[in-house]
Amino acid sequence: MESELERLRKKVENFPSASLYTRLAELSRQSGDLVGAEAACRRCMREFPRSAQSYVILAEMKIATGAKSEAVQLIATAIEKEPRSYQALRLAADLADSPTKAIKHLQAILVFKPGDGPASARLQELGGSPAAGSGRVAKPSAPVVSAPSPVLTPPVAVRRDSPLPMPSPVTAAIRSATAPRAAALDALCQEAGVRGACVADAQGRIIASKQLSGRDDILAALGAETLRVAATSLLAAGAGAPNSFSLLAAAGQVLAFTRDHRITVLVLADPGVRPAMLELRARQALIDLGAV
Amino acid sequence: MDEILAQLTRVRGVGGAVLVSHDGLTMASSLRSGIDENALAAAVGDVLGMAQRVASSLELGAFLGFSTTTDQGALLILVTGPAFVVLLTDAGANLALVQIESKPLVERLGARLAL
Repeated sequence: MESELERLRKKVENFPSASLYTRLAELSRQSGDLVGAEAACRRCMREFPRSAQSYVILAEMKIATGAKSEAVQLIATAIEKEPRSYQALRLAADLADSPTKAIKHLQAILVFKPGDGPASARLQELGGSPAAGSGRVAKPSAPVVSAPSPVLTPPVAVRRDSPLPMPSPVTAAIRSATAPRAAALDALCQEAGVRGACVADAQGRIIASKQLSGRDDILAALGAETLRVAATSLLAAGAGAPNSFSLLAAAGQVLAFTRDHRITVLVLADPGVRPAMLELRARQALIDLGAV
Repeated sequence: MDEILAQLTRVRGVGGAVLVSHDGLTMASSLRSGIDENALAAAVGDVLGMAQRVASSLELGAFLGFSTTTDQGALLILVTGPAFVVLLTDAGANLALVQIESKPLVERLGARLAL
């Protein structure tokens, strides 16, 4: 293991990557070098801020040392960066301070991993039911949480009257968390010619969405990327950062209105709709969401 | 083509014009000094690639144009035959009017390119 560790250390110096850092952190932890493991995680967080795995590894280390509140924060960050991180969601369920929160995390797992035995069994223990759209739930054949973590919340039976609405496995977890925010898009989506709209951050993660019928994830991702390349072209033209863009095609158009390139309202509309008509509504949505 | 581009820069609110191929190469330009036409064309090539991907992914049909605005002005990309005209406008320019007034010139460019 020592030679493998040395090889990894050299490799990470020459060709740093998030996966190498997390592998180095795992190996260091296994070899008992907790300081080295934490240092690898911290460097990964600094150099590859979009990677969630380093947060999960460090959270596991914090749990082992009893630093629960620090672990909870790390896990929350990991889920924010990677909403479909199985490890992060399992840990979040274990660390949750209420069964309701634990159920929510387990339901999020079953959305992208339907029938997952451990998550299903833990959910049953907690009295929750799989979210709609999470597919068949396998009956676990063995105790799922075979070695409960010392910080595990004691199971308390809580029954939900109705499952969370989760129509699309891809964005369901995010959407269920952001449903109340979609109200900020009501006025915009009522404008003539507007097919739907969403609000996304600079990394293309959905903050709120309305009427996009499962296309919000692609609109958010491509919208964020379009804004990034538009910013590059404006820089080449000697101009500042973009406030908006409009992309016109034969059968529709995409309009984007951004605030400091951090939060963007993306609108899918009919071809004839004028951007100026929608900008006020979009800016108001940003205000309502607290982005301004 | 240089002459048509020069005419485009005389449209009210337009500060510069570049003719860019679909792969982001400069074909002709009429820009004020200080702007690297090749860097701009390459960046526009990226925008075009992304715009076409958006149109295709969202099933919006053929790409027709793109514009992006800043506090300092705007950048418009208009389709002209097999190529694209990029217009740089001043802050406060009326983009709808710019598009209307530049349309005949953009069409002339398209016709010239088709020859």
